[in-house]
Amino acid sequence: MDLLSRLARLGLVAMAAVALGSPQPADGQGLTQDEALRAAFPQADSVVRRTAYLDDDQLAQARSLAGSEVPVESGVVTHYLAFQAGRATGVAYFDAHRVRTFPEVLMVVVGPDARIRRVEVVRFSEPPEYLAPGGWLGQFTDRGLDPELSHKRGIANITGATLTARAATAAARRVLALHRVIAPLGPASGGEG
Amino acid sequence: MKIRVLPAAFGAAFFTLTIAGPTAAQQSDSARVAELERRLEAVTREIERLSLGRDVVEADTSVLGFGPAASKVYRVNRGVSIGGYGEVLYENYAEDRQNGDPSGVRDVADALRAIVYFGYKFSDRLLFNSEIEIEHADEAYLEFAYVDYMLRQSTGIRAGLLLAPLGLVNELHEPPVFLGTERSVTESRIIPTTWRENGIGLFGGNDMFAWRGYLMTSLNSEGFGSSGLRGGRQKGSKALAESLGVAGRLDYLGTPGLLVGASIFSGPTGQGRELDGHTVAGGLLVWDLHLDYEARGWDLRALLAGAKVKDAAQLNELNGLTGAKGIGEEMLGWYAEAGYDVLSHTDSPHRFVPFLSYERVDTQRAVAEGFTADPATDLSVFGVGAAWKPAPQVVAKLGYQIHENAANTGVNQWNVQLGWIF
Repeated sequence: MDLLSRLARLGLVAMAAVALGSPQPADGQGLTQDEALRAAFPQADSVVRRTAYLDDDQLAQARSLAGSEVPVESGVVTHYLAFQAGRATGVAYFDAHRVRTFPEVLMVVVGPDARIRRVEVVRFSEPPEYLAPGGWLGQFTDRGLDPELSHKRGIANITGATLTARAATAAARRVLALHRVIAPLGPASGGEG
Repeated sequence: MKIRVLPAAFGAAFFTLTIAGPTAAQQSDSARVAELERRLEAVTREIERLSLGRDVVEADTSVLGFGPAASKVYRVNRGVSIGGYGEVLYENYAEDRQNGDPSGVRDVADALRAIVYFGYKFSDRLLFNSEIEIEHADEAYLEFAYVDYMLRQSTGIRAGLLLAPLGLVNELHEPPVFLGTERSVTESRIIPTTWRENGIGLFGGNDMFAWRGYLMTSLNSEGFGSSGLRGGRQKGSKALAESLGVAGRLDYLGTPGLLVGASIFSGPTGQGRELDGHTVAGGLLVWDLHLDYEARGWDLRALLAGAKVKDAAQLNELNGLTGAKGIGEEMLGWYAEAGYDVLSHTDSPHRFVPFLSYERVDTQRAVAEGFTADPATDLSVFGVGAAWKPAPQVVAKLGYQIHENAANTGVNQWNVQLGWIF
């Protein structure tokens, strides 16, 4: 008991040392759009902002693809195309949604095969314990718009942050559904599932 | 002449239209289209700004000498945050005890908890968070109330009325989070949820780990007894601060859906009480190992917790406890529960999770010399039931619990729980 008690006190001191000595991270939560795009497309020659305007049929198609649990409200879809050597290599979408009370903004990067390349938290305003860890967001990499892209199947939960997990999964499905409808990179070359 | 002029004019016009370039009218149309495109671009940018937030979209600027990323925390997103949870519980007890004697326990329907979370974000670095709870419809508590200040992006300092960072339920006790119809006995008697004390500490984490370490007012051993530590909670209300303790926790988060970790509390609990002219320290150590896994429809969790109490004999004397009523010198409890969402392979937004649980608890695993253990404190609970979640924030559970103990006085019960979180 004495040993464990001493370890507990030492642990508290060690935590203080870690807290005060840890370096300031350069990226992650609290990115601007420019920072996020630079991180997403480090090799790109240019990143071009585009806007797609969905008609009623296209909006209905996007809603159908996203699924009944995923709201798709806006028909104005702004996206960022990355070009390298004259060829479009990827597209980034910024999805804003509510977690509990406050909004979250995720950047979802989609490749030419219509699969997710990266998901990044650009803005998160809830208390930090509800923030999705980077390792958890890694689950979205290489996911296509298929039934596995669901918090009930292929996407594991975050203990104590279920609303965060569901919001991020819905954002991923919404973005891939809109991506398939507007096809900014042309028809997908890879299996979309 | 005029006849000749007209063809010449048409010819000139044709030349102008086809070869020489647009007319003034066409130039005007082009300018109008360009202007409309410019306006449309401005509107879509404004929609983006409103949707994502100006601080995200607008160009980087350095604030207070920080680089753009660091100064981001000063681009304030202020506001009140409101949330809450609650549970209503119906408990239907068996008429007979484990040994066949009449149980004498009456059924109860209780509006057990109704909670409102209030938070206020002063800046991205500074926030207040609180939980105001009404228990049993007529008891009001401040369950936590603290201020966080972010020292780094991933590290902060926290002070106020804090939840002790132990176990699985103490910090995450909303009904949709755990499977059973009631909180476990282990996390009621050995980790006395909801365990909150005034204090100050640090918290932080990265993609792999999360940690917290607090200095807090300790429990008050005046409330300890044979059934554990629960009565020792000071709940932040005029809490005696003669005895302080340290609490810490480390969780591994590197695998999606998995949380595995350990936590510990250590500190005296005498709170300045004296026996025969000597201060009784009443040192307490509480520890736990825990695991939670939620993925692919599975919901698995397990916890092992123990406690050691020093000076138990003196504390018993101070508390007037004799015989089998004494405080355990050692306590041990564990539980495991498993559930599976049978709708996970359907497109239904509902979840239906049958579950099983098993728990063993002994709050008098060892007692002080001259005292005996009450066999009723060595108990087990087997649970079976199902949870229906029409939405992730709402749950209705039905469960049956078989309570057994070494004194053969256990009383089985049916429970129905309605819970919500928002």
